[in-house]
Amino acid sequence: MIPFLTYPFALLALATLPALAAIYLLRNRFRRRPVSSVLLWKFPVQSKQGGSKVHRLQLPLLFFLELLILTLLVTAAAAPHWKLPQATRPLIVILDDSFSLHAAGGDGRTSQARAQDYLAGLFRLQAPPTTRLILAGREPRALGGSLKTWTEVSAALAGWRCQSPAAALDRAITLAAELGHQQANILVLTDRKPADAAVSNPRLEWHAFGEPLDNFAIVNAARTALGDQDRCLLEIANFSGTPRTARLLVQTGGNSNALQSSTLDLGAHETRRLVFNLPAATPELHARLDPDALPDDNEVQLLPPIRPRVRVRVDLPDAGPAALANRTLDATGLRAALTDNPQLVIRATEPPGNSVSSNLWTLCWAGAEATNAYTGPFIVDSSHPLATGFGLNGVIWSAAGLTNRPGDLPVVLAGNVPLVSVRTDLAGARHVRLNFNPDRSTVQNTPAWPVLYWNLLQWRIAEMPGLKESNTRLGATVTLKTAGGAVTVTQPDNTVVNFPKTGGELALETPLPGIYRVTMDATTNRFAVNVLAAEKSDLAAATTGAWGRWSDDLERRLEDASLTGLLGLLALGLLAAHLYLVTAAKGAS
Amino acid sequence: MDADLRQALHDGEKLGLRYALQIPPVAASGLAGTRSGRRAGTSIDFQDYREYQPGDDLRFIDWGIYARSDRLAIKLFREEVVPHLDLVIDGSASMNLADTGKGAAVARLAALLATAAANAQCTQSVWLSGEGFQRLPNDTLNPGAWDGLALTARRSPDQALAILPPKLRRLGVRVFISDLLWPGDPQPVLRRLREGAAALFVIQLLARDDATPPEHGSLRVLDCETGEETELYVDATVAKQYAGNLARLQQAWADGCRQCGAQMTTLIAEDLEAGLNELEAIQLLAPA
Repeated sequence: MIPFLTYPFALLALATLPALAAIYLLRNRFRRRPVSSVLLWKFPVQSKQGGSKVHRLQLPLLFFLELLILTLLVTAAAAPHWKLPQATRPLIVILDDSFSLHAAGGDGRTSQARAQDYLAGLFRLQAPPTTRLILAGREPRALGGSLKTWTEVSAALAGWRCQSPAAALDRAITLAAELGHQQANILVLTDRKPADAAVSNPRLEWHAFGEPLDNFAIVNAARTALGDQDRCLLEIANFSGTPRTARLLVQTGGNSNALQSSTLDLGAHETRRLVFNLPAATPELHARLDPDALPDDNEVQLLPPIRPRVRVRVDLPDAGPAALANRTLDATGLRAALTDNPQLVIRATEPPGNSVSSNLWTLCWAGAEATNAYTGPFIVDSSHPLATGFGLNGVIWSAAGLTNRPGDLPVVLAGNVPLVSVRTDLAGARHVRLNFNPDRSTVQNTPAWPVLYWNLLQWRIAEMPGLKESNTRLGATVTLKTAGGAVTVTQPDNTVVNFPKTGGELALETPLPGIYRVTMDATTNRFAVNVLAAEKSDLAAATTGAWGRWSDDLERRLEDASLTGLLGLLALGLLAAHLYLVTAAKGAS
Repeated sequence: MDADLRQALHDGEKLGLRYALQIPPVAASGLAGTRSGRRAGTSIDFQDYREYQPGDDLRFIDWGIYARSDRLAIKLFREEVVPHLDLVIDGSASMNLADTGKGAAVARLAALLATAAANAQCTQSVWLSGEGFQRLPNDTLNPGAWDGLALTARRSPDQALAILPPKLRRLGVRVFISDLLWPGDPQPVLRRLREGAAALFVIQLLARDDATPPEHGSLRVLDCETGEETELYVDATVAKQYAGNLARLQQAWADGCRQCGAQMTTLIAEDLEAGLNELEAIQLLAPA
């Protein structure tokens, strides 16, 4: 093993060694001293240190200690490091967590199984001192901590379920490099080849265990509300180089209700889109393809879409504005039939100042006799939810000449006159103030008027507790609006995740495909997660091979280890021994 | 003689004017002297009577007693004594160790003792070892007149004693000045010096370098008498062993002195004046 010095110029300090030796030699030079008689200089027992007799270069132990201490300090200052065997290098394994590794080849073994076998063989050949696992899904994340033995690694591999729609391998490699401090060996286990076949990282080995298999897949599925019906969309792709035929079975409410069974003849790399309508009352829809190499993308479930409605009560004293408001609300299609326990009240007066309710929003449409007609220019806060798609070009807006009240947030202004402003009370409820006189305005005759009501209802819906969508893709984040209470999420594998207290909005991860149940307060909502990833369903790019090596043999067997700390400790120990000897010598004399 | 030594003799002579040698009661010598001895002698001071014995000087028969009692009695008179100091100086080269004040201290101490002896109306002889013991020329005169004080001998005092011992006066006070740094049993030397002496004082005169364990470091020690060299590294252990050797040597001489009734003390050459109190403590000197 050859030591390398980080700061070789520090060796210049070795000049202190001959200086120390010179000091001792001069100090130990024999001084001639005439004595009356050598009678007194004859000793029966030699000195422990120097001896009564007599070597020309008789040097005390302290000299050698000081020489050694100086040498150690100079060497430590040069920061030497050794190359140590590779057995001390840790291993970080990056596991492709995408579902494409479930593809089974002709032997019936999946890419994941082959990758696990390779990893086990690697451990049998030369087990690394420590191992870390990183799952490369949509986001890379560590799987367990630092593992010592294959038993621990094998147990941790149970969490490698390959159910992600994507594999962020590049980011996982970056994470591995950070965790390994550029010293660990990185092993990537996947079914694809790297983007650059020439792996430049000397610490990276890339192994692929996939096969280019033919695969039929549902690559897109949606179910949206369309009036009284639900519109369904299914997109099926043939990821093979030859025309193939597959059978699609669509069922509703369970396996017994076959809604449609069709045979799809698709050309090479052809995608076919199926669109059909269902009654709104139709329960969940199952679409299934014949089994093939990759089972994950052969089935989807689509739940009925969520049709949110707002309970609105119009409490305007004048019949004209009340009729206008009701007509506009009905036109949006977002108003619930019921008006009891309203979620939005349109009224002519401001709510009482002490009225605090997070559930009740108000739209105060105060009629004013003395109004001015404004033709512009109008100032619109386009970032506000109420102003989405809101345009006032060419309209006449008649309003009272008021100024903005403290605490109100103006959304639409005519000069300094607030036309639409919003206040938020302590409970979080919104109170919209509409400064508008329809008698002398043209706004109600323009698209801006229904847009304003649409935006108001959408804003209200967005702030209502519950799910906003019932179908999503695997790995997507589902946003859940809560009332701040406890939420329980039951995943498709019956794993229950509890959120004792939420902050009004909850982002739910969807690591597994299937039906999720969300229990909040006394209600339970469901949403479906489907495997929809055309890139991963296309197995044409899957391959088997190895790219990159953990550097050459010499570098693979050796790695740096600094000796500075060890040398410093040795020097300290010798200094303590030196101090002891000096103290003991003084005590003896 | 070396000018430094001569100057030291003058200094010692001046220093000795403050002291007088303490003469032990047993010290006596000669038919006529300046002091009364313990024994019967020829002075005019009556001491006692005793029976006549054949051979007694008939001039001292007390005829009045014979007339009254018909017995022959001899009148005894106190003797007159002149105390004598024999200064025995180790003349080996180690007594004039280079880069120390040892040689000058030998000269100053000898001159001091000689002057103190003169103050005590003592005569003195100065013996210097070399190839045997020789009297120093003009040693009966004042120390400033001494000659031949050369501390260059290659032989130790015990060897000099074997070759030619000094002719020391009987019942004299003897002072032996040496560093005592030679191998061998001190008893024979002490017995030779103590024999017939009224008192023997052994003054070990060491340089500070002799008495103090040397500092740490590598050392090549050179025996100034034999030329023998030894290289060694001095550390705490060696210094301790050196001090132990010196202590054992001093203890051997102290034991020998105690056995033969001699007094011993150790002086440091560089601190000679401060060490004179030791000479008073062993009753060798007294303020004049």
